[in-house]
Amino acid sequence: MNTDPIISLSHLTKHFPVGKGQFTALRDINLTFGTGEFAGLVGPSGSGKTTLLNIIGSLDVPSEGEALVMGRSVSSLTHKESAQLRNQHIGFIFQVFNLLPVYTVYENVEFALLLQRMDAAARKKAVLDALEWVGLTDKINSKPPQLSGGESQRVAIARAIVKRPAIVLADEPTANLDAKNSHHILQTMQRINKELKTTFIFSTHDEKVMQYLERMINLADGQVVRDELVQPVKS
Amino acid sequence: MLTFKLALKNLLGAGLRTWLNVAVLSFAFVLIIFYNGMIDGWNEQARRDTIEWDVGQGQLWHTDYDPYDPFTLQEAHGMAPAEAGLMPVLIVQATIYPEGRMMPVRLKGIPARQQTLALPTEALVPAGDETRIILGKRMAKSAGLAEGDRVLLRWRDQHGTFDAREVVIAQVFDTNVPNVDAGQVWIDLAVLQEMTGMPGEATMLVADQTYAGSAPEGWAFQTQDQLLTEIDTVIQSKKVGGSITYLMLLLIALLAIFDTQVLSIFRRQREIGTYIALGMTRREVIALFTVEGGANSLLAMAVGAVYGIPLMAWLAQAGIPMPAATDNVGLAVAEKIFPVYGLGLVLGTVALVTVAATIVSYMPARKIAYLRPTDALKGKIL
Ligand SMILES: Nc1ncnc2c1ncn2[C@@H]1O[C@H](COP(=O)(O)OP(=O)(O)O)[C@@H](O)[C@H]1O
Ligand SMILES: [Mg+2]
Repeated sequence: MNTDPIISLSHLTKHFPVGKGQFTALRDINLTFGTGEFAGLVGPSGSGKTTLLNIIGSLDVPSEGEALVMGRSVSSLTHKESAQLRNQHIGFIFQVFNLLPVYTVYENVEFALLLQRMDAAARKKAVLDALEWVGLTDKINSKPPQLSGGESQRVAIARAIVKRPAIVLADEPTANLDAKNSHHILQTMQRINKELKTTFIFSTHDEKVMQYLERMINLADGQVVRDELVQPVKS
Repeated sequence: MLTFKLALKNLLGAGLRTWLNVAVLSFAFVLIIFYNGMIDGWNEQARRDTIEWDVGQGQLWHTDYDPYDPFTLQEAHGMAPAEAGLMPVLIVQATIYPEGRMMPVRLKGIPARQQTLALPTEALVPAGDETRIILGKRMAKSAGLAEGDRVLLRWRDQHGTFDAREVVIAQVFDTNVPNVDAGQVWIDLAVLQEMTGMPGEATMLVADQTYAGSAPEGWAFQTQDQLLTEIDTVIQSKKVGGSITYLMLLLIALLAIFDTQVLSIFRRQREIGTYIALGMTRREVIALFTVEGGANSLLAMAVGAVYGIPLMAWLAQAGIPMPAATDNVGLAVAEKIFPVYGLGLVLGTVALVTVAATIVSYMPARKIAYLRPTDALKGKIL
């Protein structure tokens, strides 16, 4: 594993205003991630997993401390810069898939590349490539409402990796899937991680996901309580 | 361009809701163009008819002549200037007695062989020893007279002395211009000059294309535009009156779009969050939603064109029958009006509807700027 950190969090704290006071969702987080990691934030609901992924994804900013992603401090980015960072380097996978309902599978995957203004030929190749990775080339023209949960999440994976990002952030990606589909998408992501060296960071409290992780970071009440390299059970 | 493509895709993807908005908006579209086209067509027809039948290329008036004052008419005449391109008309007050009733009229002497106005004055060419007059169908109807009828005509000569004679109605003509019809009786100019003892005199002269524009002492030139201001005023008021109807419809359509936009921003928060996660800025998302709402107007144009163009083309061909009652507005109204749709009208309407739809789409979309992407992804209410 490459030890060059592409994500580096130091003394990261996040408060949310609640009523008159504030709620501390993350407290003094210090973590680094290198290229090609397959890591998971593990903890019960409310432990701060999503909040942390959002900050790494520059959808949110830390209240204190610093988050460096691809060498850039998340707090100092303009809207445009953070949009660019996400567009080029970060893929998101959500619990609820968040596919664009009026677009076909192909168009959903293509979307990020359109934003990048990639030329048509390269775009087509990349989209078909990504759909190949997730085994959905036969559903190109389907629309999200016609897909099963497993298929939807595979489209979401294709959408996340089509731009070949350095980092994929997957927030409880199996929470709406049955066991069979969960294993299928985890194996797909594992394969992508190995072959494309994409860094994956999961948030989960699903045992099935944990079986694939190579690094497990336990969160409780917004703090890292354990951070260890583990031997994936499944590979 | 990308924004536009995405917006159109979203809009079409929304299905029924879009088509309802588009339907209402397209009605507004078609109605605005149709109504204004009708008024413009009417305006064109009214001006054309009034020029042909009444005002010509302008009129040279005796300085004492006031068409709205019958009392000064007796004095408002003088030797007709001999400028080229002018056709003299002598006007006196007179009375006719159809079936024993008394009807004050304006007796107008016009050269029987004139070509300046569309009045069928050849019928006035003297034949035999009877005195011939012509009048319009409105006048004929209100007097209960028909072609070939005889009627007693009484007038005053230049000394104020009354004289009377039986005249024959040589022709009843059909015109859209009430000004040359209601209350008017036309007679040969030479005959009238002889009857009144005013040889060579006129009250006003109607200009044709060849008139050079010089006004001699005692005469004042009224340009064609001055003489048509009345039409312009009436047409303008019709336009304003009609615009209230279609602006209401447009308002309803815009309200529907506004409503859809407000709802969209509530219901499509996850989608907004997803756009941002995929690398759009909030400003780009606002642009997307604004263009999406504004694109309603483009669809409305397309839909409006589908049924509007054949409908309006047909009406422009077949004309719109006007009820007889509209005859009373004092303006030349044909039995059928042929709408005209100018490029300016169409482009102006397109611009108006597009700009309005875009503005009402932008107003709610602006809210996205205050939306936190993390909240949007959770689908939290703003
Ligand atoms: N925008 C917010 N405002 C207030 N509290 C928040 C907000 N977002 C998250 N929280 C709180 O922060 C804590 C951590 O949330 P989250 O990161 O979503 O946890 P997890 O993903 O581990 O379930 C929770 O207690 C949650 O209620
Ligand atoms: Mg969460």
